[in-house]
Parts: sequence; structure tokens; C-alpha cells
Amino acid sequence: MRNNKNAMIAALMASMLMAACGGGGSSSDDGDSPAGTALNAGAGAPSGAKGSCDAQTRGVNWDALMTEVCPNLSDYKLFTDASDPTAGPTRGGVPYDLSTALFSDYTTKYRFVFVPEGKTVGFNESEALDFPVGTVITKTFALPANTAMRDGDELVIETRLLIHRTDGWMALPYYWSSETDATLAIAGKRLTDLSTINNQGQTLTFDYAVPKAADCTSCHSIVPNLTGPDDQREQIFLPIGPKARYLNKDFTYPDGTVYNQLQYWAEGELLSGLPADFNSVEKAAVFNDETNVASLSDSELNDKARAYLDINCAHCHRADLTLPEGYAGAAGSSGVQLEYNRRYADAPGKFGVCKDPVAGGKDGYPYDVIPGNADESYLQFRIETTDSRHKMPELGRSTFHQEGALLIRSWINQLPLASCSPVP
Amino acid sequence: MRQSHTFKKLLLITAMSGGLLLAGCDGDDGKDGKDGADGQSAGGEASSPLAVTTSGFAIPGDAILVAPDAADGDDITEALSVALFDLPEDALVVLPKGRFVVTESIVVNSASGLTLTGHGIHETVLDFSTSNGDDAFRFQGGNGITVRDMAVYEAPKNGIKATNVNGIHMTYTATVWEGELEANNGAYGLYPLKSQNVLLENNYAFGSADAGIYVGQSENIVVRNNTAKQNVAGIEIENSTMADVYNNIAVGNSGGILVFDLPGLDKAYGGNVRIFNNHAYSNNAANVGAGVVGLVPPGTGALILATSDVEMYNNQLTDNATTAVAITSYLLVDDDLANYPANYGATMGDGWSPTIKNVYLHNNTIARNGDDPQGALLQPIIDGYGSNMNSKGSPQTFPAILYDGIGELLSNTGDLAGFNALVGPDAQADGVNYDPYGAGDQICANSNINANPAPAYDEVNTGLVYPDDPADVTQVDGEGNPLPHLLIDQMVNNTYLSCLQPRLAPAVVNFRNNIYGCTGDDLAEAACAL
Repeated sequence: MRNNKNAMIAALMASMLMAACGGGGSSSDDGDSPAGTALNAGAGAPSGAKGSCDAQTRGVNWDALMTEVCPNLSDYKLFTDASDPTAGPTRGGVPYDLSTALFSDYTTKYRFVFVPEGKTVGFNESEALDFPVGTVITKTFALPANTAMRDGDELVIETRLLIHRTDGWMALPYYWSSETDATLAIAGKRLTDLSTINNQGQTLTFDYAVPKAADCTSCHSIVPNLTGPDDQREQIFLPIGPKARYLNKDFTYPDGTVYNQLQYWAEGELLSGLPADFNSVEKAAVFNDETNVASLSDSELNDKARAYLDINCAHCHRADLTLPEGYAGAAGSSGVQLEYNRRYADAPGKFGVCKDPVAGGKDGYPYDVIPGNADESYLQFRIETTDSRHKMPELGRSTFHQEGALLIRSWINQLPLASCSPVP
Repeated sequence: MRQSHTFKKLLLITAMSGGLLLAGCDGDDGKDGKDGADGQSAGGEASSPLAVTTSGFAIPGDAILVAPDAADGDDITEALSVALFDLPEDALVVLPKGRFVVTESIVVNSASGLTLTGHGIHETVLDFSTSNGDDAFRFQGGNGITVRDMAVYEAPKNGIKATNVNGIHMTYTATVWEGELEANNGAYGLYPLKSQNVLLENNYAFGSADAGIYVGQSENIVVRNNTAKQNVAGIEIENSTMADVYNNIAVGNSGGILVFDLPGLDKAYGGNVRIFNNHAYSNNAANVGAGVVGLVPPGTGALILATSDVEMYNNQLTDNATTAVAITSYLLVDDDLANYPANYGATMGDGWSPTIKNVYLHNNTIARNGDDPQGALLQPIIDGYGSNMNSKGSPQTFPAILYDGIGELLSNTGDLAGFNALVGPDAQADGVNYDPYGAGDQICANSNINANPAPAYDEVNTGLVYPDDPADVTQVDGEGNPLPHLLIDQMVNNTYLSCLQPRLAPAVVNFRNNIYGCTGDDLAEAACAL
């Protein structure tokens, strides 16, 4: 059963107009509308006191989130049905998704953001949005029985929390060890012989690794470029996905509302600073397993490939550009940088074009990227292999993303030829 | 529409790990105090040592013990992961005695003052041969970290990687891939990257398909008293600045000691690297490596590639079948100069240069090299020196000191002057340019000792593939480009590379507020007086 989306949009637009004219308050008579009342109204907020994993809170157990590492996911009271982290967030939780997502072994991801009542998220043009202290992001990974039917049967495997505490972000992994609750998995968890049927009807079988708590930092941090012997700066932990360009897309909310996520947040008083000229907001292309790569125009192919490389690689493979001065991704020291905002024409070598592999390499793959020859491009090999000596990304992938690899293969093969390209 | 869920029933993580974690986070167990231990001695004066490692490091009684009751062959992955998560400052974490299995990468973030110790390089062995992860250990961020008295075997990728750490000390630590040197023997062994204050000493690196001991994009580095055996590269200093490499042994590798500046890296170039009082011998292993290191000719004692400001002295370079020391520009790797702006323009802007300047080789003892020169990279040069196609017109013993000279020649002819426009302001200010070489840019070799046994004294040669003086160019192709001249002469009383350079400054490592290296704890070390 799906809601009638067009009718909902009409109702929503009407209510927003009213909100704009009425100047706030409970101007809406539609309880599901984002307008009028903040999305996180009634959500509560951290009190500043030391929390308890046993606290019986009506809503989110904010204090425990802020100070405690709880043994069970349910201790934090993030979901109305503690056994279901895929829906029904406790009051204030807002679901979202990304236009192009990190590949995680074909799992479906259920994301919610919880912002303390009275706080708003600050807009950021290119980096992760500025989530206030107290923010909690939940991401639940579930492996569908069939990737073509993600609404069908699935295996809920793990829920990861990103928590913005007063001393910075931290992450906790919870593994669904039973039907009713997920338990803290500091040392991670390896599941063997999981399987799914992919969009091509093939049965895929692979191990799945719930990352260790320490692994989270490997992808989620930016690291200081130590400038001298006395430079003691530390790495900074950050969210990756919730950037404007990935949120800038329509989302179907539980009530059937279909609405651009950034505008929904802004109008729901959850996001401040969204530019009035909405067309100026970055927008990453949509890519998913349903995308028909063969039918893409060159510019669509480029846009989607760049989004895919950005969200799958550039959390580590990034340097300069929109980062804080003096910081880089964990692979910022590598020669390959794949950010969405990097201009290809400025330095194709930064995308690996005609670049010798430095820390790595394999016979038969002379350069990272050989325009026109994906088959012998080491980057292509690395995103396809599951050999841990070579595979990329290093973490969170145990199987080969056929659809994503095809996208990158097609992109490499249509890049402008370079000096290392095969002679036409 | 609600999807139905099926939940996989699996065991909880062990009660032990949960308990450990909570204790660590609450910090109220009274045992996580700051013991102030430095790299040299445990400071737990109040408690008697729990044990003393084979290198003499006393483990205090209040150390954090990882799986202390584990038996040989046990999998200690979970205990290790949990113990190294969310560490207190200045933690001292002890691995058990014996040989254990680890099945995942062990990642440590932002550790401050951590000492991770086993009971000895032979006494605590961690076997990663069945690991599902990649690196064995990876330290990301942090400061003042010591790894000691342990061995890491058969890592799927790197052995011990430390990235963006200020103060990384590895001592009495081994990274080993047993058996033959094979292409799938992981990647780097001991691997500090993008770090400051790097101290690698008393370690053993064996069997890496890349570099056994590798320091990349780092600054203020001391590498001493290590043994690197049967790796593709024994010891490699890459895009790194202020490094002293001394009192090491590099044996049985494809290349013994490498100093590289490679294009395209975030730290675009290194320099001020001193290689002294090392013994690089019999580095004749077949090269099974890939990427740039795969180009290193088997039989190379030392290779200095595109790194300027390198001083190499008082080393013993013997029994290397290709050459004792090769000094080359990057043009030997990639001679497609027309495409340098397209392929390397950005990194050249940051100061990487294919040329090599100010390399000073002196007082090295050189013997019995060059009897079977190999390597695709050098093949035309090898063929030329081994035939009558060289400056002497008859087959010669391959040069023990080989300098390609092409970057210098093309700088001196002005053919590279166009690259000056690529060099960014910071690099320009640091002296990076493509002007003709001045006196301070020269490659110099003098006072090196020919230790060949009689009657083979005359087999220690210095070779220049290209003359450095445009006036000496006598052979050109149809388009006027200089052809290899393959100049060769005896090393002693040399005509080639006969010049002097100023000595380079010593490296200084400040680790936990102690100074290491020739200006610090090794002030009285003989090698530091050379």
C-alpha cells in the first residue's frame, strides 16, 4: 500500500504557504506536516547530567547517549518498538536517505537523525551539515533476500550510532544478536555465508563483517597534516553521508509525503541557513542498483561516477578543497583524491590517471586509471577484488558491487584518452 | 508497507569483552592510572615488575594484560580489539607470551602515550595468516606510541602501519612473511606514514613483497640498528625529510636501501636524508614486487631515485650483483617528458621534481658488486656496459656507482627550463627549479674505498649514462637529442663525480620529550662521529 503522493504534495504545499504567511505557531491543522512545529519538538534534550543506561525515559535517553556506552541498543530508547530499528523513531527522529550511498554488501540502510529539541542543524555547502551537540544518527543495515525487492524479507544485521557528544563525535556498533535487541559489539562480528539474490537474479554468498568500534574512525575521521615536530593536533571524527549534496533529493516520508529532504528539514525548523537560492545547493547524482548504466549519457555517467567515487572513496581519499585547513582524509597522503568537488581537468593524475601505484600495485595493472582501458586499471581491479591485500574500500565490503563497478568501468572507458591510454 | 524481518540468532559477544569495555569507559577501576612510562623503562615504581621482556623492558604490575591466560594457538582477536579500544592516556598494554592467532585487523585510534609490548621478539608472536582484515596493526593519529617486543607474522597487507602519528617508536619488533619471497607476501612491514618523530630501532623485517621497513611522507626520522632481510626493498625512505638511517643491515633483498621521491603524493618531496654506517650486502633476491618498487633492479645495494639532498657515507656495500649505488632521476622510470606537464603538473607544482640534486657519496666501502647486473629498468644500460657500446669501447664490469645524469644534462642544456613555470611559489621558495645545476646541486662521490680483493681492484667503476656537461655531448639522434654515452671510469682517483658537498644536518627525533639520534641519545655513538 502506497500513499497518493501527488495529493500529499498539494496538501503540504498549502500548509507551508500558510506557515510562511502566518509566521509560525501551530498554523497547520495537518499533524503530519513539517510546517508549523519543529520536527524535533517534544523530542527532549540532554540535561547535562550523567546518564544511565537503565533510565526509564519517555523519549530518547539523551543523557545516556551523551555519557554512557550502553550494552544494549534499546537502552537509548531511540525506537518506539525497541526490536525494530528500521522504522518508528522515538519522537523527534527523522528518517533520511542519500542520493548515492556507500556500498555495504547490498544491505538496505535505514537512517534516522535525532536532534535535541530546541537545536537546529547548520547548513554547510560541501561538508557534512553542522549537527549540534546532542545529535544522534542511527544507521541500520539489513540484507534483503532479493535486492530487487527491498521491501520484502530482509535480515537486520547491525545498527551503528554516531553520537555528537560535547567532546566530539563518537561511534558505537550494535549487532542484532537476537530478535528483540542489539548488543554492543566493540570487537565487531563476522557473519559467514550470508546470501542475497541480486538485481540480475544471481545468488550471491559472502561473509559480512560488522566493523569493530575502532574501525569507525578509519573512515569517519579527518587527520591533521602534521606540520612539524611539535604539531600535536589530533584527528577529528565526522559524519560522512549527511552532506547537502546527498540529502538534496526527494524522500518519501512515512505519512506518504514526498518532499526534498533539505527543504523538509528547513521548513521543519530542523535546518538553518539553507540558501534562499535553492538551485545553488549542491546536488549529487542519484545512483543505485536500478540505474541502467548502458543508457546513460556521457554527462550523466560522469555525474553518477563522480558521486559514487565521492561517497565510496573520498571519505579517505581527500585532501584540501573544502576541508578545514591543515586536515586531510585518512588516505590524503595517497596520490589519489576522488572528491566530488575536485575538478578533473585540473589534474587527472589526482584521479589516478596514468599514475603509478605507489603503496601497492599488481602485475598486469600498470597505472591506477588508464582512460579507455578499465581492464588494466588498478583502481578498477581494487574495487572489484575481495583480496584484502588490494581491495578498496578497505572496510565494509566483503563482496563485489557489480553495479557500481560497471559504473566506474564505463566511466574509465569514456574518459578523455591520456598518455598511458591504448593507442586507438 | 511494513517489511517482515528475520533476525539471525547469534551468540552475544563474550561477557569478558563487555566487562572490559565498561571498565575502560568508566575509568573508575583505579587501575588505568598514568604510569609515565617512557620508551626505555617502565615507570611503575610503586609496583614491582610483572615481567621483564627479553630486551630488558620491565612491565609494571598495573599494566593492562591482554588475554594473559591464552594458550599457544589461541585466537586473541577479540581481547586485543577490546583492550585497544578507547585507551586511557599513557596506557601500557601487554600481549601474552606465546604464538597466537589474530583474525582481524587491529586498529588503534588517537592513542596518547600508548606502549604496546609483548614479552620479546621471539616470545610473543601474532600470526595473521588467517586474518580476514588487511593490515595487521594500524595506528591512526595519536602521539608518543611505542610498539615493542613482539612479532607480526603473515599480515595480509601491511604489518604495522602508523599514520599521522606524532611520535611513533617501534623497537625489538618483527614483521615476517615466512618462506620464499613471493608476490603475495603482504605489503610493507614496519610502516610509519605521514608521521612526525619516527624512531625505528632494533627491529627485524623479513619477507615483504614491498619494503620491509618503510617510512613515507614523514619528517624527523631515525632508523637504526635494524635488520631487513629478504624483502623486495630492505629499508625505504620515501618523500620524507630529515632522516638518519644508520647501523642497519640490509641483506638478501632485491634492493637494500632505497631513497625515493615519487610523484603525486601529498608530501610532494623529501630531502636531507643521511644513510651511514649501514651494511647492504647480497641484495640479490628476484624482484617480486609491483608498482614502482617492482622496478628496482635485483642486485641493488642502494638506490636514490629523484630525491635531492642525500648524503650516503661510511656504508659497506658489498656483493650486490647489479650495483652498489644507483643514483637516478625519475626520467629513468618515465622518459616521456612531453607528457610530464599533463601527468605530473600538479605534483611538480607542489615541488616534486624528476631531477636529482646534491647527492654526496663518500667514504663508503665498496666490494664485489656488479658481477651479474639485472633488471628491466637498466637493461639497455647493462647491455651497453657489457658490450663495446660504452665509452671504453669494450665490455666493462658494471659500475658500482651508477648515475643516470640525464636530468642534470637536460637542466644544463635548458631543455627542462619550461618546467619552471609549473613550480608553485612555496616550492620555488624552497629552491625547486629546473635551472642549470650549480655547484651545490652536483652529484658527488669521493673518498669511497675499493675493497675488492686483488686482482679485481679495477672492477670498481663509476658510470655516467649521460655526460652532465652539454659540451661533452658527442652522440645525438636524428632530432638532436643526446644519446646515452655510457661513460665509465674507475671509482678511485675518479674523473667522474669528483666533487665535494657540505655535510647534511642530523635528524632529531623528539619522543616523549626525550631526544633520539645523533644529537640525542646517540651523541657518543661512533657512527654519529663519522
